[in-house]
Amino acid sequence: MKSLARYARIWLACARYSVVRTMMFRADFIMWSLVELFWMGVNLSVIGVVYQHTDSIAGWGPWEMTLLVGSSMLVQRLLMGLFWTNLFEMGRNVRTGHFDFFLAQPGNPLFMVSTRKIDLDGFLNVPVAIGVVAYAAHRLGLEPSPVVIAAYALLILCGLVIHYATLLIFISLVFWVQSAKGIEGGYFGLNEFSRLPREALRGVGAVVLVYLLPVVIVSNVPARTLIHGVEPLNFLWLIAAAAVWLTVAVNLFNRGLRRYASASS
Amino acid sequence: MFASLAKYRHVFLVGVQNNLVYRWNFAIRASFSLVHLGYVFVLWGAAYAGQESIGGFDLRQTLTYFLVVLVLQFFISAMNEDYEVSEDIRNGLINQFLLKPVSYFGYRLTLFASARAISGLLALLPVAIAFPLLAPHLSLPAEGWTWMAAVPALLLSAFIQFTIAYCFGLLTFWFLEIQSFIILSLAVETILGGQVFPLDLLPAWLHELSSYLPYYYMMYFPAALITGRIADPAAVLHGLGLQLFWAVALFAICRLLWTRGLRRHTAVGG
Repeated sequence: MKSLARYARIWLACARYSVVRTMMFRADFIMWSLVELFWMGVNLSVIGVVYQHTDSIAGWGPWEMTLLVGSSMLVQRLLMGLFWTNLFEMGRNVRTGHFDFFLAQPGNPLFMVSTRKIDLDGFLNVPVAIGVVAYAAHRLGLEPSPVVIAAYALLILCGLVIHYATLLIFISLVFWVQSAKGIEGGYFGLNEFSRLPREALRGVGAVVLVYLLPVVIVSNVPARTLIHGVEPLNFLWLIAAAAVWLTVAVNLFNRGLRRYASASS
Repeated sequence: MFASLAKYRHVFLVGVQNNLVYRWNFAIRASFSLVHLGYVFVLWGAAYAGQESIGGFDLRQTLTYFLVVLVLQFFISAMNEDYEVSEDIRNGLINQFLLKPVSYFGYRLTLFASARAISGLLALLPVAIAFPLLAPHLSLPAEGWTWMAAVPALLLSAFIQFTIAYCFGLLTFWFLEIQSFIILSLAVETILGGQVFPLDLLPAWLHELSSYLPYYYMMYFPAALITGRIADPAAVLHGLGLQLFWAVALFAICRLLWTRGLRRHTAVGG
């Protein structure tokens, strides 16, 4: 418990440092917030245009789909705000040897690496994504109970854990390969499927993207929970997926850490 | 005249060699684009369920459009050119061009041509490998004449893509950090360039409005010509005219920014 409080204090200190640093470059912060907002607009515009010409995609209506896309964006904004820059810089730091700096700090290396910076521009769009979800829920006439809202929040958190684990797995490969350049392309490519209803995938695609990789369920399970209420099997599935993927990612990171040999790694 | 061109021929060959060093990066990037294509196929496959056509085109025509856009991105899109121009200004590398009889615009345009030639050819590899899987879902127009019109349209699109990237790079004369401008513009280009949906699916008034913007001619116009989405001769001529206008206008903006930017530029050192 004492250790948990200590880590919370470290994280708060890092968060404070990030806020101060961001406020030093206010124009930059506004521009990047706009960038994030525009990209969310791109995702929503696709839905808008497709539903101009059809009533349903795999049984999902326009506002159900908006809720799904909003949930996907919410998880991604949280990842961008909390972990993206940190994990992305880890790849570079391992290559250059600057990773030593994190190993020398008095704390768990993975925690130190993952929480050093907070991107306020990514974080600023979290309320926008919540607004999209809330508006879609309103248009669907949903009145979720506090239990459903709590379950939705927990599932979004599980989605964040899965995204974090996936990214950590990708980036940890830098302990073995020369460069992790272009890996973000793979991550964004796979993440696109989180904006699709599970029912749209069939055959091999469904096996890979629904069952083997938790790409689709990350957004589908929270969205379905808000629309249809808590479905115990799906609920447990996402929690178990988050636990399994986080375990795999942490193990891979620790194995990589054992290979790390400073700048020559 | 020929002596002047010879300079740029050497630049082109150096560019080819430089880009061949990054051959695996291009091939990997193209492979990741196929993942995006998978998403597009699933989304539009589900949207077409129960209906023959959307916006007057069947599923195979729409999927062909997206495949053509994917391939064209590697042949005509500006990728790092804005950052490279920005770096050259920040690091003072443009100073040498101020002293030599080499046009910086011409130098960068030649490097862009060499980079796209290599990235385009390399992108064809993963597409060729996946082609047996893709072929049953594709359909090209029976009338081939629009392909002829697509040749000047592609050249002008590449030029427009390059000039926009070049202009963003030149903003470094005024701003320390231009990355956010570039990514913001990329978001606008993604929608108004027809990269996430064919622009003819927009409401008519919005489609009409977008056809007067340069983004329309960066990707949608040549892709629509190749896939037969634009097949009316009058519309093709009108489009080529507007595309030429934007190419000239953007070139003029490049010249203006370069001249104005140089007034602010300070060359230090030998």
